[in-house]
Amino acid sequence: MPVATVGLCVVEDEKTGRVMASCVTPVVSEMSVRTDTPRVKIHRKNILRLMIAEHPESCVVCSKGNRCQLRQLAAQLGIGETHLYPMPNYKTLEQANPFIIRDLSKCVLCGKCIRADHELVVVGAIDYNLRGFKSRPSTIHDRGLEHSSCTFCGTCLSMCPTGALSPNNPGYTATPERESFSICGFCGVGCGLAMGYTNSRIVEVNPANRPDTVNRATLCVRGHFAHDFLNTHERLLQPMIRQHTGSDENTMAPASWDAAIDVVAGRLLEIKSKNGSQSVAFLGSSKCTNEENYLFQKIARALLKTNNVDNGSYLSGRHVINLLEKRTNGLSRLSPLDWLEKAQAVFVLGADPGHSTPVVSYYLKRASKKGVPLVVADSIRTDLAAFSSAWLDVSTQSDFEGSYIELLNGLAALLYEKKAHDAHYIKQFTEGFKQYSDDLSTLDREQVSLATGIDVGVLNATAELLKGKKIAFVIGSGILQQRFGMQTMEAVINLSLMTGSLGSEGAGIHILAKENNQVGAQDMGAVPDALPGRQPLYNDSDRNRWEQFWQTEISPQSGLNMIQMIEAAEKGNLKGLYILGENPLRSLPQPDRVRKALAKLDFIVVQDILNTETVQIADVVLPGAAFSEKGGSFTNMEGRIQSFDPVVPPPGDAHPDWEILGSLAAKLGDPNQYASLGHIRDEIRIRVPMYKALDRHNHTAWVAVGDHRQSDKDTKKTKTMVSFSPVVPGDIDIGDELSTTDYPFTAIMVSVRYHCGSGTRTGCSDRILKLGLRGEIELSPQDGETLSIRDGDTVRVVSSSGAIKRQVRFNKRLRQGTISIPLAFNGNDAMNLLAMTQPDMPDSPGWKTCRVKLEKI
Amino acid sequence: MGPKEIDWNKLTAIIAKHKKEKWGLIPLLQEIQELIGYIPPEAIEPVAEALNIYPSEVQGVVTFYSGFSLHPKGKAVVKVCRGTACHVKGSRSILKLMKKELDLEEGETSPDYQFTLETVACLGACFLAPTMMVNRDYFGKLSPTKVTTVLGQYSKDKGEQ
Repeated sequence: MPVATVGLCVVEDEKTGRVMASCVTPVVSEMSVRTDTPRVKIHRKNILRLMIAEHPESCVVCSKGNRCQLRQLAAQLGIGETHLYPMPNYKTLEQANPFIIRDLSKCVLCGKCIRADHELVVVGAIDYNLRGFKSRPSTIHDRGLEHSSCTFCGTCLSMCPTGALSPNNPGYTATPERESFSICGFCGVGCGLAMGYTNSRIVEVNPANRPDTVNRATLCVRGHFAHDFLNTHERLLQPMIRQHTGSDENTMAPASWDAAIDVVAGRLLEIKSKNGSQSVAFLGSSKCTNEENYLFQKIARALLKTNNVDNGSYLSGRHVINLLEKRTNGLSRLSPLDWLEKAQAVFVLGADPGHSTPVVSYYLKRASKKGVPLVVADSIRTDLAAFSSAWLDVSTQSDFEGSYIELLNGLAALLYEKKAHDAHYIKQFTEGFKQYSDDLSTLDREQVSLATGIDVGVLNATAELLKGKKIAFVIGSGILQQRFGMQTMEAVINLSLMTGSLGSEGAGIHILAKENNQVGAQDMGAVPDALPGRQPLYNDSDRNRWEQFWQTEISPQSGLNMIQMIEAAEKGNLKGLYILGENPLRSLPQPDRVRKALAKLDFIVVQDILNTETVQIADVVLPGAAFSEKGGSFTNMEGRIQSFDPVVPPPGDAHPDWEILGSLAAKLGDPNQYASLGHIRDEIRIRVPMYKALDRHNHTAWVAVGDHRQSDKDTKKTKTMVSFSPVVPGDIDIGDELSTTDYPFTAIMVSVRYHCGSGTRTGCSDRILKLGLRGEIELSPQDGETLSIRDGDTVRVVSSSGAIKRQVRFNKRLRQGTISIPLAFNGNDAMNLLAMTQPDMPDSPGWKTCRVKLEKI
Repeated sequence: MGPKEIDWNKLTAIIAKHKKEKWGLIPLLQEIQELIGYIPPEAIEPVAEALNIYPSEVQGVVTFYSGFSLHPKGKAVVKVCRGTACHVKGSRSILKLMKKELDLEEGETSPDYQFTLETVACLGACFLAPTMMVNRDYFGKLSPTKVTTVLGQYSKDKGEQ
């Protein structure tokens, strides 16, 4: 919808000579307009002169500099002096928050910020206030942005044509020298960035604003402002080797690259020849590029002959994602976010994209504004609840993680009862519906309502809402990281099949990815049980192909996953560990246990960009490059492969990670020389059919889907039969459950939009730190009263694994008995509360929730 | 002496009546203004929630129309016409007298919430110039004596509503 605001777009009607605003004048037949007549020019000039007369004359110090569109237009129209009496409309300068400076004296009332806020990111923090000369965009009660619902995504800031909105950047306040395209390295959305740099330093980040990106004109607070970590003094600048000089063994000495690579190759080969190839392991990174992950797992498999290779995405529910992949034959791999706005209905389960993957939440809220019914099920009321057609507040009783299963089965039963299943689809594409529907008919609705804490009426209304529609699912960490994630995913797949959704455009299963390349790392085989292209190790033909190509033998046995690596280190079976861009001392549960385990190793190499907790215990440190300092490609949660080139060179003596891995491979005896990124890419493109579209010149490509590995969005063509799985009741017995009297609260681990993952990088970002977040746990006021805890008190949160101290904030929307603990604060100390392993459920230990008690201090 | 107490029960009832209405914002605001005499800023958020729009949008509408006010007003709202016809007939002096009598500037409300003084561009009763309105009543062909008499009618001593 065009909106008329500034009036600079005037044109002249050829016949009538009328001057009119081109943006809002409808086109009619036989219309003929002139855009550049002397009259039109005079009008434009006069409007602009009036705007300038109202504008403060502060161009010398204005950070918008030459990017100011007011200034550019004045130059184009030849306006120097306005010859008008200057009447600047001074407003208070607002810079209390660390992200956005608002100087509304410079506002030209174009309304772009308001439209960005309402139509693109759908937050509604600002709107026009007052009228006429006094009119300005304003928050509710005209307070600072930090007291409003603003999420500091900065979308308005990138759109502002003048200096009314500018970044609060104490390090740099002018126009960057140049701008280059890159892909954001935080969450799995993979936003396109325009990175501004001056003298090889990134000084400003804006959305790339290109139609071929996921985010187009939007970004989130991390993408916009948290890239400060690129310039922090915590960056690693040169290779270091630990010197074992008798008494003082804690000295790290700088070394040359040759020396460092020599030591790494030498020690790894030595350990392998002494203790066998199973005594070394490779922990890769869900943040590094596809090319790097490919090379990394190749070094592990082909050169050190071990399948002990994993990456950080193990923590984000890989078992659940693998199950989905396997059950649907990879059909769900491709799930463009564009589909959400075309969906018939969207079911959001255990996901808070407003914090974990903000750009996804923009898609969902826009879809809701367009009239797509949104069903939101969660145990904490999220921002999406206000946009939902049905909000399902899933109960958090002692066994609540099973509630999602009950909920999905219950809805399926109601839909079946209403004859709302897609019989044609079921017959054509699925197996096992008879058994499934028989199971559904025996479900007791009262029991479902009791287990989920959701009223029968609400369940009925939700079923009515979903009736006859294909459903798109959005699955978040509330499902992926919980104990019954696998069973819940089965229930999701069943519901998707029953409604004829899976495989249709606008009805995908979207898995929220917390890390930028967790999908790619898995695709590239940086996992213990699969080869590049998601080819399982146990599949002889796939494995043989790789054996031939790499001229090596690969064991069909899966290697150690991330947790098993720690356990093997504890037992002394693991001797050497190569860590690439991961920080297990911060991201894994029970950090003390991890620290003790890693201390038993003979040799640890850490390749990273920041001086992390894990770098401190390394024997050799290899400084790598951040995404903006190297080329490569990331694969996002949609299945979109995005290539990018370096924006600036790495700092100091740091090298791009693929270069480091390339020289290590050569040192370890790889006959292939990976002298350029192109070499690695060619190999991937030829050897991994899923990635045949990978190309440097084509910044956006899509992974190939399904058995036939076609790059075809109409996935139904693949004709694979998908089977229903039996109905599993939600009240699964987990045996050793802790008594609710000792640990009366359910703690839910939540992400906050200002941090990514465990907060290693965002914790080094100046502006994020300046915000001064304390990461308070949230508690219902009733529970506070019972425990005589007041808002703002400090408490000890104790679980069976450990304890942390935090301040308390009341949240009256939380159910009693539930608390939320934000991740990534205080060195991600919340991990102390979680158990690394669960004896009964080795596959899904459940890192979303745990039982805790609160002690007042 | 303060502004009229806000009857939150009644206010909540009005908001509930218009819940989820598609074009309900202005009628709803008018009802609130009618009940309380102004739109309490605290009511903006509940109104926005009921109509499923942003609080900032509600505030934008409230501050756009001069008929809505975010501040409590006096029992008697005096609107002196400053249109052309009234100006010719001496409304500037009327306004000056009014300011002196009430000890208020334009847009101000007396500390006892008895009077609010406002000006308007035209009341559409130019044949009666100079004119003014007090609440919903017109007073035309004003003279200094008439102004004092009218204000007397609305002063506190006269008691009732």
